[in-house]
Amino acid sequence: MSTATLSAPNTGAALGIDRLFLSLALAATAILIALVLLDGQTASALLIVGGFGLGVAFLKAEFSYTASWRRFLTRGEAGGLIGGLIVIAVAALAIVPVAALSKGFGGAIAPLGVSLIVGAFVFGIGMQLANGCGSGTLYTAGGGSGRMLIALAFFMVGSVFGSLSLPAFLRLGGIDPVLASDYLGPWGGLIATLFSLVLAAAIMAAVAVKRGANWKPSRNYIVGGIAIGLLCIFVFAAGGHPWSVTFGYTVWGAKIFQALGFDFSHSEFWQWAGPKHALAESVLSDTSSLTDFGMLFGAMAAAAATKPFAANAWPPVKSLLAAAVGGLLMGWGARLGFGCNIGAFVGGVASGSLHGWVWFGSALCGCLIGIRLRPLFGLSKD
Amino acid sequence: MRKVYMAVVLLGLVAIIGNHLTSPSSGRAVSPEDFAGACAPCGAPCPSKK
Repeated sequence: MSTATLSAPNTGAALGIDRLFLSLALAATAILIALVLLDGQTASALLIVGGFGLGVAFLKAEFSYTASWRRFLTRGEAGGLIGGLIVIAVAALAIVPVAALSKGFGGAIAPLGVSLIVGAFVFGIGMQLANGCGSGTLYTAGGGSGRMLIALAFFMVGSVFGSLSLPAFLRLGGIDPVLASDYLGPWGGLIATLFSLVLAAAIMAAVAVKRGANWKPSRNYIVGGIAIGLLCIFVFAAGGHPWSVTFGYTVWGAKIFQALGFDFSHSEFWQWAGPKHALAESVLSDTSSLTDFGMLFGAMAAAAATKPFAANAWPPVKSLLAAAVGGLLMGWGARLGFGCNIGAFVGGVASGSLHGWVWFGSALCGCLIGIRLRPLFGLSKD
Repeated sequence: MRKVYMAVVLLGLVAIIGNHLTSPSSGRAVSPEDFAGACAPCGAPCPSKK
C-alpha cells in the first residue's frame, strides 16, 4: 500500500479513500472538540459535531441553494427550491414553538428595512458569481474546491467591510422584527409558518408547471432536506439559536484585520455588545464559528472518504476572479442583510420571522443580476 | 491544489488554537443574539431603540 503523499493523492485504497485528508479532517475536529471540552463547554462540542454532520449532509446530498435558485430563474425548475423549503419546514417544527415557550432559546429575528433589502439583493448577486452561498461556500471549500477557498477568503474581507457599513444603513430606517408567534402564539405561529412554506412551494410549483419544467425535488433533496432540517434542530438545541454561518466569517476577518493592526475601537458595529464580545473572546466561544469549523471538516472528511481530495486543477483565472468578487459581495451583503441563506432565510423563516421571506425575495432579485453577470467571468448562465 | 489545501488547513488550525489559547473564554459559547438589546443575529439594535 502506498504511503500518503501531498503531490500524489493516496489512491492506493480500492475504496478511493484519501487517508491523508480524512485523517487530517478527523484529527482537526477531535482537537477542536478536545479544546472546548477542556473548558467544560459541552454545548460547544455539540455545535462542532452538529456542524460536522451538516458538512457531511450537504456534501453527500449535493445540496445547493445557489444552483437551485439559478435553475428556477433560468429554466423554471422548482425541485431544488422546494427541497430547500423542506429544510425550513422540518426546522420550524421545533424552532417556532421552543423559541416562543422556552427560556434560553430564541429565534432568528431581524429588523425590516433598507439594510435588509439592499444586503440580501447584493448577496444574491454575489452568490451567483461565487457559485455558492454562505453554507455552500463552506462545504465546497471544505470539500476540496480551491475556487471556493478564494470565495471564502474574500467573503471574510467583504463581511468586515459590511460590518463597518451596517450602522449607516440601519440609520436609513426600518421597523422592528415581525415574528408570527408574537401575534399568533407559539402554535399559531407554527401553523402560519408552515402555511407560508406550503404557499411558497405551491407558487414555485405553479411557475415550474407553467414553464414546462420539473417541480418535484429529487430523492437527494428530500432525504438531504430532512437530514439537514433535523441537524438544524440539533444545532438549535445545542446553541439556543437557529444555525447561522456568516457571523463567524465576520469574526475571523476582523480578528485577522486586528492582528494586522486595524483598530475597531471606533467602529460602531464592534462596540455593540455581541460583536465586541466575539472579537475579544476566543474564536471557539462564538456559536457560528463552532458550527462553521465543524462543517468545513465534516465536508472534508466526507469528500476524502470517497475520492482523492482536492485532486482537480485550479480553474481559469476569470473563474477565480468571479469567486473573489462574489465572495466580497456576499460578505458585504450578508452583514447588511443579517445573514445568508442559512442565518437569514432558513433561520428567519423557520423562526416565523417575516424578515426571512423579505430576504428571500430580495436575494432572488439579486440572483437575476448575478446570473446575467456570470458570462463576463466565463461562467454559464445555467 | 493539495499542497495549498494542506498549508491552509494547518495554518488555519494553528490560528484557531493560538487564538483560543491567548484569548479569554467566558465559559460557554454565545451568539450576539444572547446580549441584551440585540435585534438580529449579528447583535444589531432594534430600530425602535434608537
